[in-house]
Amino acid sequence: MEPLDIELDETELELPTDPMQVNMGPAHPAMHGTIRMVVELSGETIKKVDVQIGYLHRGFEKMCERGTWTQVFPYVDRLNYASPLLNNVAFALAVEKMLGVTVPERCQHYRVVLGELARICDHLVCSGAMAMELGAFTPFLWFTKAREFIWDVFEEETGARVTHSFGRVGGMAKPPSPNFKQMVRTAVPAALALIEDGEKLLLANRIFLDRIENVGVMSKDLALALGWTGVVLRSTGVPYDVRKVHPYLTYDRYEFDVPVGSRGDNYDRFMCRQEEIRQSARIIEQALEQMADEGPINLDDPRIVLPPKDEVYSTIEGTIQHFKIVMEGIKVPAGECYSYTEAGNGELGFYIVSDGSGTPYRIRIRPPCFATMQGVETMIVGGMIPDVVPTFGSVNMIGGECDH
Amino acid sequence: MADGTIKIDGRTVPFDKGDTVIKAAYKAGIDIPHYCWHPGLSAPANCRMCLVDVEPPPGRPKMQLDVLQWDAAKNDYVTSKKTKLIPACQQSCADGMSVLSDSSDEVSQARKAVQELLLLNHPVDCPICDQAGECDLQDYWLEHDRSKKRMMDEPVHKPKAEVFGETIVYDAERCIMCTRCIRVSKEVAKDPVLDMRQRGNRNEIVVAPGRELDHNYSLMTEHVCPVGALTSNHFRFKARVWFLRSARSVCQGCATGCNAYLDFDPRDNKPYRYRPRDNESVNGYWMCDVGMLSYPEAHEGRLENALVGGEDSELAEALDQAAEKLRGLDAEPGRVAIVLSAQHSCEDNVALAHLAATKFGAKDLYVARRADGEADGILMVADRNPNAAGVELVASRLGFASPKPMRALVEALADGRYDYVISLGAEVDCDATAVKEKLMRLKGFVAIASHEGPLPQAAHIALPAASWAEAAGTYVNAKGMAQQADKVLVPIGDAHAGWQLVAALAKKLGVEVHWKKRADLEALLFPAPAPVFSAPDAAEPAASMEVQP
Repeated sequence: MEPLDIELDETELELPTDPMQVNMGPAHPAMHGTIRMVVELSGETIKKVDVQIGYLHRGFEKMCERGTWTQVFPYVDRLNYASPLLNNVAFALAVEKMLGVTVPERCQHYRVVLGELARICDHLVCSGAMAMELGAFTPFLWFTKAREFIWDVFEEETGARVTHSFGRVGGMAKPPSPNFKQMVRTAVPAALALIEDGEKLLLANRIFLDRIENVGVMSKDLALALGWTGVVLRSTGVPYDVRKVHPYLTYDRYEFDVPVGSRGDNYDRFMCRQEEIRQSARIIEQALEQMADEGPINLDDPRIVLPPKDEVYSTIEGTIQHFKIVMEGIKVPAGECYSYTEAGNGELGFYIVSDGSGTPYRIRIRPPCFATMQGVETMIVGGMIPDVVPTFGSVNMIGGECDH
Repeated sequence: MADGTIKIDGRTVPFDKGDTVIKAAYKAGIDIPHYCWHPGLSAPANCRMCLVDVEPPPGRPKMQLDVLQWDAAKNDYVTSKKTKLIPACQQSCADGMSVLSDSSDEVSQARKAVQELLLLNHPVDCPICDQAGECDLQDYWLEHDRSKKRMMDEPVHKPKAEVFGETIVYDAERCIMCTRCIRVSKEVAKDPVLDMRQRGNRNEIVVAPGRELDHNYSLMTEHVCPVGALTSNHFRFKARVWFLRSARSVCQGCATGCNAYLDFDPRDNKPYRYRPRDNESVNGYWMCDVGMLSYPEAHEGRLENALVGGEDSELAEALDQAAEKLRGLDAEPGRVAIVLSAQHSCEDNVALAHLAATKFGAKDLYVARRADGEADGILMVADRNPNAAGVELVASRLGFASPKPMRALVEALADGRYDYVISLGAEVDCDATAVKEKLMRLKGFVAIASHEGPLPQAAHIALPAASWAEAAGTYVNAKGMAQQADKVLVPIGDAHAGWQLVAALAKKLGVEVHWKKRADLEALLFPAPAPVFSAPDAAEPAASMEVQP
């Protein structure tokens, strides 16, 4: 913590006051439980701020070096816990890049649909929580209700509502359930209707708008310089979206737009998110259209994918295949690679190093909000203390992935 | 110098006269998959896993076979040709020969077919099989086969858990009939007690009628078994191999000093088994049963705590008492006898001998050792001490005469030549009662020992030393080769490396010793150049060097 700056020029002040140092967080509700801001105030104006992260550090990268490659999936679930499936797919893609394999097309569409559903959830949580922290509780509940429709789909598909651990190297844990498409086609419009209602409550509300317009402004240049990605970067006017710029999976086969902002304030970030939800819905529609109803989900390679359970229990070949993958792990060729995808709040990258064994030698994550957090100071210094709340809310900082 | 070179998949590989293709590949570190071949045994070429494509000499046609092949398009068999593959374990190398192994599709197909055949009747046993995790069937299936089961008939059932002898249990269903166990008995143990009966998918390994598998190399049959057919009674169901770690050790059973891996579980700090470590110049690929089963001695029969007058004591307290007992030494330096141990490492011995020579002015060295046994004419020698030659080396390096046996100490004590004795080791090779009786009457008798035995029992003060598995040490075998055993386990109880106890004792006696770490002691033992043992984590062992006393 910096020492107090008491050399203020008192002649500038109408009412002479001493600067005051205040801790916001880590137990402050608007700090989402995981960061601490040491703010130096003059009246209600923020003169200085020290943003401290690290309150949710669990040694994720080190933990990965203990188990097999497959055993990393539960950990990545807990990175950005607002959209675990995006992380699952991102990690699976990284390992598949090292192995030099591509999953079957049906699986790619499946991954896209699940990922975009997760992105919708991610944006809903961010926007809803931001509104709630400004006192608008109803939209938050409605957004949560909308998310609930999608979580029902997740529960049906993966068996879990939050931490799915559903990704696998070379495919997914299970094939889509028989009425997957129908469920998604029902859930998404229902969610969109609720989202629309929620938005109406907010965007016609003077209080809400006053508190987000021209608040927390970030310039395009500084955003780029700080390594910002995702919604927060696009809100400043840079149309960088990994799905468009470096398409992975089947993203180059869908039509969708990348919404950008112009001022880089809280309003732009909020609006970009809301528009992205609609774009995700577009992608989901097209992916469901293109996804075959039949066909393999997993790769056909016994070195990578587990055999069906009945074979494990009844044939020696199945037992051996199961044993080798479970006990020794997938043998990823020695080498290193960086693999990156568009996650809920920006470019989620995994830099992985393998020594050829079944255990990761080193995994490093590039969490999008780690870079974002560097800009928070710029956005809030000079503003008022109540502006911290919507500004911090709109950058969608997730402790699970930021602290690594 | 190699006698020529062959090419394997285009890679030049040198060979010595008489080498087969697989042996040349093995020496060059190229893996040609095999079950029945073993570098230390004859080659029956019965598993067919090592089939390779030997290219014909220039100008000669390729050896081919006429075969019928199914043609799906014609829906009929058509005549076709197929290369005649040769087992790499039978084909002698000839200069300039070119062999295709991994690069040939036909070889890959043959391996796949062999692997499928071997698994045809194999039981679904991996979850309950001790070999799982180090099984060639598992490794080769993933490497060379990867196909699913095609035969849907009930597999042939054969006897399971058949007791072959005190050490070995046999499971005929898992057996792939590589005959390695038969050959180990015949060629290594010189006792052809195993053979094969029946044929085809009904054949199994049997013990000669009226016999048991009871020769001194029975555990080697389990060691060479590439699958889980033979299991050792001592290791059976005790541990899963993927939880074990291996460290390089040296067997303490006799003066041969067989190189071994000591497998242990770091979670409970326990040793689980020995495995022979290949070293052509010491033990080849083998170890005897007595040695193989000596791993529990790392923990069993140990002196875990210091003893003062036979009662357990804190180590610091015991060291104080020891210094008290030896106080009179300064006044009468000639009246101390130093007993070295043929069971302790060179480091422990040189530490004690060096302290005795430089500080106590001791003149006489004695050696405590385990009594000799029978030699088996193969690996085991009569001298049952791992470091008798090391003790001789220590004595000569420090300018002592060759250490005298314990019998001589008993006589000297009877003559009243000594008032003080400091000893290493636990066991003696003469009448233990007489030794104890004489030693107990001394003014001061301090024993440093890793295990229980007459010496720590008789000692006024006994200090607990680390066993060979708990402290790195050097041992010199009967051939005069210095070999290093790595530290494997964390010492139990109050145990410390013997030389550390010597240093602690010296400190209590007010003596400064110049050796602070093991390397200092090794410098005393092996003046420059210091021996180079391969690094502890090096994959390849062969850590022996000859020493000239």
